[in-house]
Amino acid sequence: MSFEFMWAALSPENFLLALGGVVAGTVIGALPGLTATMAIAVLVPFTFSMPTAAALILMGAIYTGAIYGGAYSAILLNTPGTPSAIATTFEGYPMAKRGDGDLAITVACLASVIGGMVGALFLLGLAPPLAEVALEFGPTEYFWLAMFGLTLIASLSEGNTLKGLIGACFGLLIACIGVAEISSDVRFTFGSNVMIGGIETVSALIGLYCVPVLIDLVATPDRHLKVTHETRGFRLGEATSILSRRWVNAVRSSVIGTIVGILPGAGGSIASLVAYSEARRTAPAGNKFGDGDPDGIIASEGANNATVGGGLIPTLVLGIPGTPTDAVILGALLVQGVRTGPNLFTEGGGSIVYTFMAGLFIATALMLPAGLLIGRYAYKSIITIPKALLVPSVAFMCVIGTYAIRNSTSDIAIMVVLGVIGWILNRFGFTPSPIVLGLILSRIAENGFVQGWIIGEATGNPLTGFFARPISFVLILVILLSLFYPMLKPRLVRRLARQEGRS
Amino acid sequence: MARKRDTAGMVVCSLFILLGGAALWDTTRMLDRDSYVYPRAVAVLMIVFCLMYIGRQLLLPPKELTESLEAQTAQRGGSTPRRVGLVVTLFACALAMPYVGFLIAGSAAFAVMLLIAMYDPWTRFRIVVYPLVSAALVLGFYFLFKSAFLVPLPTAPFL
Repeated sequence: MSFEFMWAALSPENFLLALGGVVAGTVIGALPGLTATMAIAVLVPFTFSMPTAAALILMGAIYTGAIYGGAYSAILLNTPGTPSAIATTFEGYPMAKRGDGDLAITVACLASVIGGMVGALFLLGLAPPLAEVALEFGPTEYFWLAMFGLTLIASLSEGNTLKGLIGACFGLLIACIGVAEISSDVRFTFGSNVMIGGIETVSALIGLYCVPVLIDLVATPDRHLKVTHETRGFRLGEATSILSRRWVNAVRSSVIGTIVGILPGAGGSIASLVAYSEARRTAPAGNKFGDGDPDGIIASEGANNATVGGGLIPTLVLGIPGTPTDAVILGALLVQGVRTGPNLFTEGGGSIVYTFMAGLFIATALMLPAGLLIGRYAYKSIITIPKALLVPSVAFMCVIGTYAIRNSTSDIAIMVVLGVIGWILNRFGFTPSPIVLGLILSRIAENGFVQGWIIGEATGNPLTGFFARPISFVLILVILLSLFYPMLKPRLVRRLARQEGRS
Repeated sequence: MARKRDTAGMVVCSLFILLGGAALWDTTRMLDRDSYVYPRAVAVLMIVFCLMYIGRQLLLPPKELTESLEAQTAQRGGSTPRRVGLVVTLFACALAMPYVGFLIAGSAAFAVMLLIAMYDPWTRFRIVVYPLVSAALVLGFYFLFKSAFLVPLPTAPFL
C-alpha cells in the first residue's frame, strides 16, 4: 500500500466520515441491544450514493466504534452493549464497582485501539493467505473451538466448578429451545408459540447481566458505583503503564481476535472469550482475575476489536463474511458493484480496498480521542445521575434494545424472566457467566457436532473427522493444555525451583 | 468462619434435575436423531453434575464458607417490595405493549420505575425536573429508534 491511499483516506470528506462513524458507532454500541450489525444495516441505504471507498470507510468506522462502545455498558452497567463485550464484564464491572471505572474505560480504549490496529495490519499484509485458513475450518473444528470456549467455565465458576458446569449445561440447553437449525425439529417449546423463535442471544445477555443489577440497584439507596471525589482525568498515564507492562497479553489477544475473526460464524464474542481464557490461564501469581484485573479487559477488548480486520479478510478475499456485520458490508459492496475476491487487491491497483484499509487505520486511531472523551462523559453520567432516573433509564434502554433486535414483545418478557432466573441463581452461587457461555457456544457446538458426525458417517468413520484432522488435533491439545495447565503449573514451578536449588 | 451445607444449592440442583428430566421427556417425541442427540447429551450431563453436587454436599464434610461468600450473603439485604415492583413493572410493560402501544406502555413503566427507585425526598425541583427529564428520555429514545433506526415500535390499535 503506497502513501497515495493514505492521502486518499485522509481527504477531508473521508476523515470526517471516519470521525463521524467512530462517534456514532461508539454511541450505538454502548446502548444495550443495538449491535454493530444493526447500525451498519440501518446505514447501508445512505452509502449507495457515496463513492465506494468513502462508503466502506464509513461502515468500517461505525463497525470499529460499535465494537468498542459495547465496553461502556459492560464496564459501567455489567451489561455487554454488544455480545463481543461479554468478557469485558468479567473484570470491567468489578473494577467499576471499586471506583476504577474511569481507568477500566481508558484501558478498554487503548486495548481496542491496539486490537483494531493489529487486525487492520493483518488485513493489509496477510489477507489472501489468511483467508485460506478459513476454508480449512470444517464442522469438527468449530465443534472443538466451542469446546475450547467451554473450558473457560472452570475459571468463571468462582471456586465451584460443579455449579459452573451445571450453569453451562443450563445455558447449552436453553439455547436448544426453538427450531433446530439442522433438522428443523421444534424443541422444548412445550406447545408455546412464543418459544418457537428460540432465545435471542442479545436479549438473554441483557436479561442475565443487566436485570439482576437493576433488581439489586432498586433495593437499596446506595450508589451504583463507588465514587471518589478527587478529579482524576482520563487516567491515561496509569492505563498506558498497565498496557506497557502487559503488552504481551495485548498483542496475543489481538492476534487471537484476528484469527478467530477470520473464521466465518465465530465472531467477536468467541474471540474475546478465548483471549480472556488465555489471559487468565497465563496470568502471573497474585493476579486479581474475578475481582477486576485490567488484564481481562485488555484481552477482551483487544480481541474483539481485532475481529473487525480479521472478519474482513474472508469477506474481501473470498466473499465469505466472517461475522454478521461483515455480511451486511458484503451486501453493501455488491450493491456498489464491487466484486470481492483476490482480484479486488489488484484490479485498478487495488485503490478501493487499500483506501478502505487506510481508512480503517485512521478510524481506529480516531477511536483513541473519541473513545476517551465519550467514555469520560459516559462514566460521569453514570456516577452523577440520581438513582431514581438511572434505574428507569437503563431499564427502558434494555426494553427498547431487546425489542429492536427481532421486533418482538415476547423477547422483552423472555429477557425479564431470564433476568429473574439469573438473579435467583446468582443468590445461590450459580453465576451468570457460565450460563451465557453455554448459550453462546451451544449453536456452534451442536451444528459442528451434528454436521461433523453426518459427514463422518458418510465417509464410514465419524470419529476420524473429530480426532484425525490436523486443526482438530491442535485444538484438542490446546483444550487439554487449558484444562490441565493450572493443575500442572505448581508442580512445574516446584520442579524448576528444585532444579535451581541443586544447581 | 462458619461451616455449612449448601441446602439452597441442593434445592436448585434438584430443580435442575427436574428440568433435565423434562428436557429428556421432550426429546422422546423428536423423530430425527440429529434433533435429540445433542440436547439429550446436555440434559444427561446436567443431571449427572447436579447429582454429583448433591452427593458431594451430603457425603463429604461441609466446606467452610469463604469470606467473600459470607460478605455477599450479608449484602443481600434491601427492599423486596421494590425488587418485586421493578420486575412486575417490566413484565407488565412487555405484556401491555401490543395493546396500548410502545409509547404509552414505555412511559407508564418509566414513571412507575422512577417512583420505585426514588429514595430521596420529593423537593419542588425534583417534582418539576424529574418528569421533564423522563419525558425527554422516553421521547428521545422513541424517536431515535423509530425514525433513525427504523424499528417498527408497536402502536396502540385505538390511536
